Amino acid sequence: MPHLLELRQVRREFDGGRIVALESVSLAIEAGETVAILGPSGSGKSTLLNLLSGLDHPTSGDVQFTGKTIQGRNAWADIRATRMGIVFQNFCLIPTLSAEENIEIAMMTQPGGAALRRQRALALLDRVGLSARANLRPALLSGGERQRVAIARAMCNRPDILIADEPTGSLDRKNSFATMEMLSDLHRDTGTTLLVVTHDPSVASYCRRHVEIVDGRIVHDGAQDAAEAQRATVSIAERAVSP
Amino acid sequence: MNLATLPFRNLAGQPVRSGLTILGVAVAIAGFIALTGLTEGAQHSFASGIDEPGGDLVATQRNGYSLLSGSLPEALGKKLAAVEGVDAISGLLLNITTAADQANVVISGWPPDSFMWGNLHLTSGRVPKPSETSGAVLGETIAEALGKKVGDTIELQFQPYTIVGIAAFETILNENIAIVPLAGLQESLGREGTVTLFQIRLKRPLDPEGVDVVRDRIAAISDDFSVSTTSDFAGNLRFFRLMQAIASSVSAIVLATAVLGIANTMLMAVNERTFELGILASVGWRPKRIVGLIMVEGFLISAIGGVIGVGLGVLLMYLASWTRLSAGLIEPYLTTTLGIEALIAVLLAGPLGALYPAWRATRLLPAEALRRT
Repeated sequence: MPHLLELRQVRREFDGGRIVALESVSLAIEAGETVAILGPSGSGKSTLLNLLSGLDHPTSGDVQFTGKTIQGRNAWADIRATRMGIVFQNFCLIPTLSAEENIEIAMMTQPGGAALRRQRALALLDRVGLSARANLRPALLSGGERQRVAIARAMCNRPDILIADEPTGSLDRKNSFATMEMLSDLHRDTGTTLLVVTHDPSVASYCRRHVEIVDGRIVHDGAQDAAEAQRATVSIAERAVSP
Repeated sequence: MNLATLPFRNLAGQPVRSGLTILGVAVAIAGFIALTGLTEGAQHSFASGIDEPGGDLVATQRNGYSLLSGSLPEALGKKLAAVEGVDAISGLLLNITTAADQANVVISGWPPDSFMWGNLHLTSGRVPKPSETSGAVLGETIAEALGKKVGDTIELQFQPYTIVGIAAFETILNENIAIVPLAGLQESLGREGTVTLFQIRLKRPLDPEGVDVVRDRIAAISDDFSVSTTSDFAGNLRFFRLMQAIASSVSAIVLATAVLGIANTMLMAVNERTFELGILASVGWRPKRIVGLIMVEGFLISAIGGVIGVGLGVLLMYLASWTRLSAGLIEPYLTTTLGIEALIAVLLAGPLGALYPAWRATRLLPAEALRRT
């Protein structure tokens, strides 16, 4: 059974090789997993996420999806359109479109008419508790609401894997908690693989597997320690209810 | 929302930028329409004006620069009249002057025995008697503009004329005409013994082949003049060819400017929206689809600008034709060909201008585009 997503000896350089963001990184993600990629700022975790989602291309090495090496922008675009949802720290919503239209736009690459897209977008907004705010533009939504729209958009094409890059990075404690609960629920309800990039251990605690990256290299890859998970869960719950 | 409405939404999202670019395209198309339309209008005005008095062919000086500068010896008329198939000929001396410092008047000298007098549709008065040297017939429009009626006097070419008749015409050139006896006009212009052109009426029945045969016979008389149908002669004048060349050159420049304007705007739009385009890529839009979106936006800008530009161009043509310099001489003339040319320019300008920005937009990797917030 091939891995859902795999990096093989991946290297990513910038500025003509003066900056090496990732060095000989190999990582395999299995279907149904929840994986947190942890690391300090500048460690290369966002670069890793970009390579895993085809938003960036490696300088050398292979990126495989379901056992096939993926090359070229079109191939990656097709995977993102049908099998992968991405949630960004800064939400990445188009400011001139409403919440509902921001979700619809991700479905335009797929067959189906405008009515069907609208129906599904509204259903997803209902699921994330934003049906009453479907016609509002992002500027009129709170940070937490924007992130919920982004999650709804990421789920619109029923992806195999949901990749979240610092999904709570722009949110307050309460919304961080709500966002992670929502992602966790989605994983539980749909079986979607969840890959979260974060520097926050409490956010990472929602994932069973932890991959730690420092200076462009993976330094730890393993299951979350039970005691650590307990501490993080308590910490999140306390922060969520604190004023 | 769908792929057809999304480009509209994007353009509406940046109303000032989109509006200014549309305005730029509109001005360019308006310039093209107005310049070319006025040039063709002037040509059409002269051609239809010469055609109206009833001649079938026109003999003019070969390679004449403009209609007014043409000069043929009056004596040539006898040779022309003797050609088989010619029914009648009439020399004609033309000049443009102003009357009472108010309006342009086309002053036309006709000989007393011209067949053209018989074709006038007089609304009042009569034609000058052969013995009258200072009688004039005015077109209705110029008579109204100057407040003149039969019996009044009018000064033309520093000569006083008595208005003996008012005539109705169908063409703008003739509506602003003052027809006077040929001999007097020749004297006042210092062009004794010469005419601007000869109107030639052919014997009936008339068929196109017969016209060609007679034209060839007339042309065989001498190489000093050329013969053409009344509708074609204006196109043969070098002045109009020059005007057409100038109009075409200026139009090409303004259209090229419009294309560059669209390219510049789309480039700015693409730069400003790099982040948005990155979002589209991140949710699975292929580069080709993103290129298509930008191209359609470019097309919409030029199409909307084109429609406004055609309207603006027609308005400009009318305004220009009403100015003191051109009033009574030029009429707006929008042909189907001109409309199609403008349409083609519009259809090409938008996508052409958007092509490079669209190509550039897809050069960036999505991750790079998403960093440009």
